[in-house]
Amino acid sequence: MSSELHFRNERFIITKLLFFSFLSIFFLFADINLKYSNEVRKKFSHVIQPIYSLAALPLGTYNSISTYLTSRNNLILKKKELEKKVLIQSGIIQKIPSLQEENKRLKKLLYSANNSSSSKIQMAELIRVNLNPFHNKIIINEGRNKNLFIGQTVIDSVGILGQVSEINNDFSVVTLITDPDHALLGINARTNKRIIISGIGDNRKLIAKYIPLNEDIQEGDIIITSGLDNVFPEGYLIGQVSIINRKESNDFLNVFVTPSSSLSSNREVMLLW
Amino acid sequence: MVSKVHFVSILTLLISIIINLFPLPELVTPYKPPLLMLVLIYWSLAFPKIINLTYAFVFGIIMDVLLLMPLGYNAFLYTITIYLIIKLYPQIRLHSVRNQIFSLLIILFPYFIMSTFTNNMLNISYDILEVLISMIISILIWPLLFSVLRFIRLKYIA
Repeated sequence: MSSELHFRNERFIITKLLFFSFLSIFFLFADINLKYSNEVRKKFSHVIQPIYSLAALPLGTYNSISTYLTSRNNLILKKKELEKKVLIQSGIIQKIPSLQEENKRLKKLLYSANNSSSSKIQMAELIRVNLNPFHNKIIINEGRNKNLFIGQTVIDSVGILGQVSEINNDFSVVTLITDPDHALLGINARTNKRIIISGIGDNRKLIAKYIPLNEDIQEGDIIITSGLDNVFPEGYLIGQVSIINRKESNDFLNVFVTPSSSLSSNREVMLLW
Repeated sequence: MVSKVHFVSILTLLISIIINLFPLPELVTPYKPPLLMLVLIYWSLAFPKIINLTYAFVFGIIMDVLLLMPLGYNAFLYTITIYLIIKLYPQIRLHSVRNQIFSLLIILFPYFIMSTFTNNMLNISYDILEVLISMIISILIWPLLFSVLRFIRLKYIA
């Protein structure tokens, strides 16, 4: 009697195993082709957002406590430093209008289209949670109510970070340029040659693909966005060429680019319109 | 009794999800052990008739949604691993905690193999060394996790 029961239980478990594993494999392939997990996340965003904030709470509390406990002297020193920085930067900014005018004039001479640069910038805060290590995505605290759009450019103070890839009610997902699924068209600032820059999942490295062996490229070359991909505006910093492997047996050069933006240590990011 | 088991296990699983989401330094992140998986393993060892494949599948889906992974990735891995536990729990339960580490190694090995296999299939890049270290860390924290969850079980589920 008992052995029969055990047997029935066994068969039931195997049926369950087969059912669930086939269901999850089906979900997996359907999701890769149709990307409907975004929709699922959108539906449950009211539940997901509190979980994210709860997970981000300890670090946030630690940060606010540490700012609360900073001494007055430190704050004064920091303020002085920042004032100096602002002064230097506003000095640099003074020259920008005249440069813009000059640029416009030169472009007119070359009969090239004058693409206006984006005007509006807005800050967004990161929700710092630990996502899966295989993807390079971050979550920011701005959602649909701030008129974000898919493909919007996200930058930090030194370079380009990525693009908005998913918008929910209270949070959005930004795919970083280092994500293995991400690629963008850059320009070598020294030679004006176009380069495809794609991520490999490592936050300290990007790879430049399909560069012919005789291409003029050097270590230390600066790569900027080209504006030709219709996603990122022109002229933002992507990174610097760090390693070039020239192997005669390969069809293409093996070029690595170090991203200029601090992809892992930001607390705030900027959204461009 | 049964509803108590459900309540306590769901609560600990939710807490482990949130701990899993805690931000860690960039250096440590790749070696993060699959905490939810380990907690699931504990509960299915303790109550294999109650905490079984349905739990594994549902929490796997929750994990996929939260971690921005393709839907079904974790659900698949958890289902396979919990199936092994349900098959082997009579043997594993008899071991001391120290010996359980080794049987856990055998249980978790398919988990990591499957995860790298799925990564390959989906073109997700990964580092095999990171996977191995994460596996070793997860068996090293098992005794601690075991005693904590055992304490919870003895206190709240008589």
